[in-house]
Amino acid sequence: MLNISKLSKTFSPNSQFERHVLNGLDLELKDGEFVTIIGSNGAGKSTLFNAICGSILPDSGAITLNGRDITLMPEHKRAKFIGRVFQDPMKGTAPSMTIEENLALAYSRSRKGILSTAITRKDREFFKASLAEYGMGLEDRLTTKLSLLSGGQRQVVTLLMCTIVTPELLLLDEHTAALDPAAAEKIMEITNSIVSKNHLSALMITHNIKSALSTGDRTIMLDAGKIIIDLSGEERAKMTVDQLLHLYSEKKKLELDEDSILFS
Amino acid sequence: MQLYITALQEGLLYGLLAVGIFISLRMLNIPDLTTESSFGFGAAAAAVTAAAGHPILSLPVALVAGALAGFVTGLLQTKLRVHPVLAGIITMSGLYSINLIVMHNTPNLPLGDNAIFKLLYACFELSAIQKKILGAVVSAVFCVIMLIILIRFFKTQLGLCIRATGDNPEMVRASSINVHAVKITGLCISNALVALSGALIAHYSGYSDIHSSNGTLVYGLAAVIIGEAIFGRRGVTLGLISSVLGSIIYKIIVTFVVQMNLFGDYSATLMKLMCAVIVAITLSIPAIREKRQNRYNGKERGENA
Ligand SMILES: Nc1ncnc2c1ncn2[C@@H]1O[C@H](COP(=O)(O)OP(=O)(O)OP(=O)(O)O)[C@@H](O)[C@H]1O
Ligand SMILES: [Mg+2]
Repeated sequence: MLNISKLSKTFSPNSQFERHVLNGLDLELKDGEFVTIIGSNGAGKSTLFNAICGSILPDSGAITLNGRDITLMPEHKRAKFIGRVFQDPMKGTAPSMTIEENLALAYSRSRKGILSTAITRKDREFFKASLAEYGMGLEDRLTTKLSLLSGGQRQVVTLLMCTIVTPELLLLDEHTAALDPAAAEKIMEITNSIVSKNHLSALMITHNIKSALSTGDRTIMLDAGKIIIDLSGEERAKMTVDQLLHLYSEKKKLELDEDSILFS
Repeated sequence: MQLYITALQEGLLYGLLAVGIFISLRMLNIPDLTTESSFGFGAAAAAVTAAAGHPILSLPVALVAGALAGFVTGLLQTKLRVHPVLAGIITMSGLYSINLIVMHNTPNLPLGDNAIFKLLYACFELSAIQKKILGAVVSAVFCVIMLIILIRFFKTQLGLCIRATGDNPEMVRASSINVHAVKITGLCISNALVALSGALIAHYSGYSDIHSSNGTLVYGLAAVIIGEAIFGRRGVTLGLISSVLGSIIYKIIVTFVVQMNLFGDYSATLMKLMCAVIVAITLSIPAIREKRQNRYNGKERGENA
């Protein structure tokens, strides 16, 4: 379904600030697969998401989603089939609009003419029912402005906005990182239920290695713009956090050795 | 009394200007200087159309003219990435020449007997005060109709998109909406209303003047702010209505000042300065309040220590 090949991106090329953030990254995602992504700060995880969403354009390489080449497609066009939740709960919603207005923006994007009433009574019932599933009491606050909600509540609204029209691909960029542990756990629970209920294909970035290994069905580690570890099935099931870190330092060492041979 | 009825009517007609500025400033979050000339553009376009014998047609013509001005500014600041304030200034100064050309190179174009209000008064035999009342009532009805259309519009899908674009453009883009197109549409609507207001003022005063646009942005700001000060910032529907009410209240205050001769001979002259001062003070209230709050907190901490 998602196919990324030889993706490269360099920021500020030919200057002293030159940074090769993505270095010929290859990634293939099967239909309905839920992949967690880990990697140190600056490894290029968010940049990978930006390239998939079209917030930045890669220098080379190709991205195809369900057979169509989206490498250079404008961001708002691919947003029709890609949903994205950011780390910052402020980013995904319009603060001075109400919960139902936010949901309506996401819901009717592909369904209605631009001059039709945005929120009908039927829509309202549907929003209520969808929110009620999460047990956060949001179903009774449809006309509350988003700016009055907590970070966790906003992330729930954002998640629902991203999945209210089932996307082909869901991208989650550390979407629980700004929340307190209890709220983070709750959002993870909701995420899991949304993904499995809709059989979504999803990519999730996290810094919590433990939850990366226990969530979804595959874990990849990004380092310097490349995938250096790709775990799934049996191997992943047996993997512990310590083993993974060990594996990482082994790989790094190997790489360093190769480099020093190259340059010696 | 007559003076206050006049103020009411002017407030209503200028109210559409305030609504236009509410849309660009509060919804789209863009300080749009285009208004400083699209008002006159609407007046000029309407005056020429009306003088040619089409008084009713002159209103939609003004709407289109304003929308065009908004479109140019919108194009500049989205696709061509000109700074929003500069984009407005560019359109504004360009339009000055165009306004003059539209008005056949004269700074002042009379509408003669084709002014809508004049035609209206001619239908009945009325005393001076009755005319004023009729004018105010007709203006009020017109304003209410426009408000109802706008309130409904901002509840549609496109309306929601426009509001969200000013609120959080990133999110709008992520929900597969073309931010540029929406921004341009918003600016078209805003300036169309401003131009319509200009056209109505031309019909009301019986002429279109090249300088009629001067100070419209600050006037609109003042009206929006006064509306918000009295009715609060609670949602779009109320915001649209309170902009018109703010405009009426402002005109009434001005009438009061001039009538009471509060500043002697300078009462009328000082109007724009007063307007600017009101806007400046209201805009700085949050900063002043914050400063006082900080000082207050500091004191408290000092006492406890
Ligand atoms: N628009 C940009 N312009 C210039 N440099 C950028 C830009 N976006 C990202 N970078 C750089 O690219 C590198 C990778 O950033 P990226 O956000 O992808 O990291 P990340 O893996 O998501 O890290 P984190 O875990 O901290 O979120 C960083 O060094 C960053 O400074
Ligand atoms: Mg990141």
